[in-house]
Amino acid sequence: MATPETIPPVLTENEQLRGINADYTERYGFHDAEHYLYKAPKGLTRELVAKISEFKSEPTWMREFRLKALDHFLARPMPTWGSPMLAEVDFDDIHYFVRASERAERSWDDVPEDVKRTFDRLGIPEAERKFLSGVGAQYESEVVYHQIHEDLEKQGVIFLDMDSALRDHEEIVREYFATIIPPNDNKLAALNSAVWSGGSFVYVPPGVKVDMPLQAYFRINTESMGQFERTLIIADEGSYVHYVEGCTAPTYSSSSLHSAVVELIAKPGARIRYTTVQNWSTNVFNLVTKRAVAERDATVEWVDCNLGSKLTMKYPSVYLMGERAHGEILSIAFAGKDQHQDAGGKIVHAAPNTTSNIFAKSISKDGGRGSYRGLLEIAKGAHGSRSKVVCDALLLDEHSRSDTYPTIRISEDDVNVGHEATVSKVGDDQLFYLMSHGISEQEASKLIVNGFIEPITKELPMEYAVEMNRLIELQMEGSIG
Amino acid sequence: MIDVCSLSELQPGAKRLVECDELEIGVFNCDGTIYAIEDRCSHDDGPLVEGGFDPQACTIECPRHGSVFDIRTGKPKTLPAYVPVDTFTVVIEDDTIKLEVE
Repeated sequence: MATPETIPPVLTENEQLRGINADYTERYGFHDAEHYLYKAPKGLTRELVAKISEFKSEPTWMREFRLKALDHFLARPMPTWGSPMLAEVDFDDIHYFVRASERAERSWDDVPEDVKRTFDRLGIPEAERKFLSGVGAQYESEVVYHQIHEDLEKQGVIFLDMDSALRDHEEIVREYFATIIPPNDNKLAALNSAVWSGGSFVYVPPGVKVDMPLQAYFRINTESMGQFERTLIIADEGSYVHYVEGCTAPTYSSSSLHSAVVELIAKPGARIRYTTVQNWSTNVFNLVTKRAVAERDATVEWVDCNLGSKLTMKYPSVYLMGERAHGEILSIAFAGKDQHQDAGGKIVHAAPNTTSNIFAKSISKDGGRGSYRGLLEIAKGAHGSRSKVVCDALLLDEHSRSDTYPTIRISEDDVNVGHEATVSKVGDDQLFYLMSHGISEQEASKLIVNGFIEPITKELPMEYAVEMNRLIELQMEGSIG
Repeated sequence: MIDVCSLSELQPGAKRLVECDELEIGVFNCDGTIYAIEDRCSHDDGPLVEGGFDPQACTIECPRHGSVFDIRTGKPKTLPAYVPVDTFTVVIEDDTIKLEVE
């Protein structure tokens, strides 16, 4: 019988890598021929920013907002913290605006044929029929399809692409836009504010519960693309909405950039759940700012799953601004070869008797790097607040890396805060134990990883939990679909 | 009470920084009405007076992370700041702008 030290790997590293790429290319990594209405040349200029605004026939205030944001972007240095990979982002080598269709259609039949075929292949119309309340599909810079169930529309729920929302509901957009993440919040938020295009606008009226999720799917097709969607969700008093987003892109040798801004506002007693299954190809820099406000008795939950991209830097945050508000951040990050997942979350307790949880899990393999970066802040006056932060990292081999950067600031005495962090390696003894029960090494590794992430995947809607488990199993197996 | 300057030296749309011991205070003329707030963003200690001043809206934008403050109340209108900054009572005496500082 083999000792734990001499158990041979089931697949070599090369075999595993070949498997991952083969599956991604087949399922998500394909690309369409380009029949675009407009494709901006590479590079970011003042003229282009003005042109984007002009293309969209925006009001003057938005045009000025964009140009001012561009100044902020140009004036700010690139962050020096985070990942060394950030230095590789070449802002001059990006197409900042690509228009694939005339407008966001309400019928798939009106979407350009090859674009529709792409979303068919990704299973979006099928998912819409089966279990969604509404769908937005963005292709390159703009949303090509948007639809919501009629009964929700009758109840006053607004679910539009952001460009249409600015046109049709300018007043409410202007009231809330960039109040949660101002353009000068950080360099990438400034960039998004200058060139934003697409994304979702959701408004749920008081007391309305949107039972099935709304979904947005973001697709990059062309090479060296920059996608900068902007999402704003407002859940009015006592309402509920679950928004789910997914994304994929073809694999190219050149880099693409995805830099979104997402703002959530949960009014008193409302609840927003925001789920992300990020599966960009490994040539995409994913640098996203996501922030939420929870007012009195409101709840905001971020369920953030990061599997793809070259580098992700994303720390969804919740500001608990009203008494008894609750914030929850569940984060999974899976870092494979040449990937750095710098993820985590931030919670700010700004009112009394507020509660929060952050549960973060990262898995690193094949030299990948998973980082947890988090902030827990309890402001003066937020007495009676409770928070628990748990971040666990699992290393699957000797070459991979895990880092934890937690920050805790407490300015109030009467609070209850717990912080736990673990780093573990899939131990030979665990594998040996499972294998001694007749389970193969590969199966044993999968069982250990599944057990590790199960507390978070169980929070996903069933269809996404199944997809997430499948994706992770694929990464584990390195098998072809 | 400290003297800032004469009214004619702070025209509508103008702003200036005054120092009093350890305190730094921003003084603003919002379309004819004078207001004064602490010159320190409650988020990350940014120097507010150096930010973008909108005299019509009577707001100042922190140059560091973009929080916009209502100069009349000291309250932030946008994140990432969420704590108000101190405000100071303005008194005009003999054409001179003065601040009540404790």
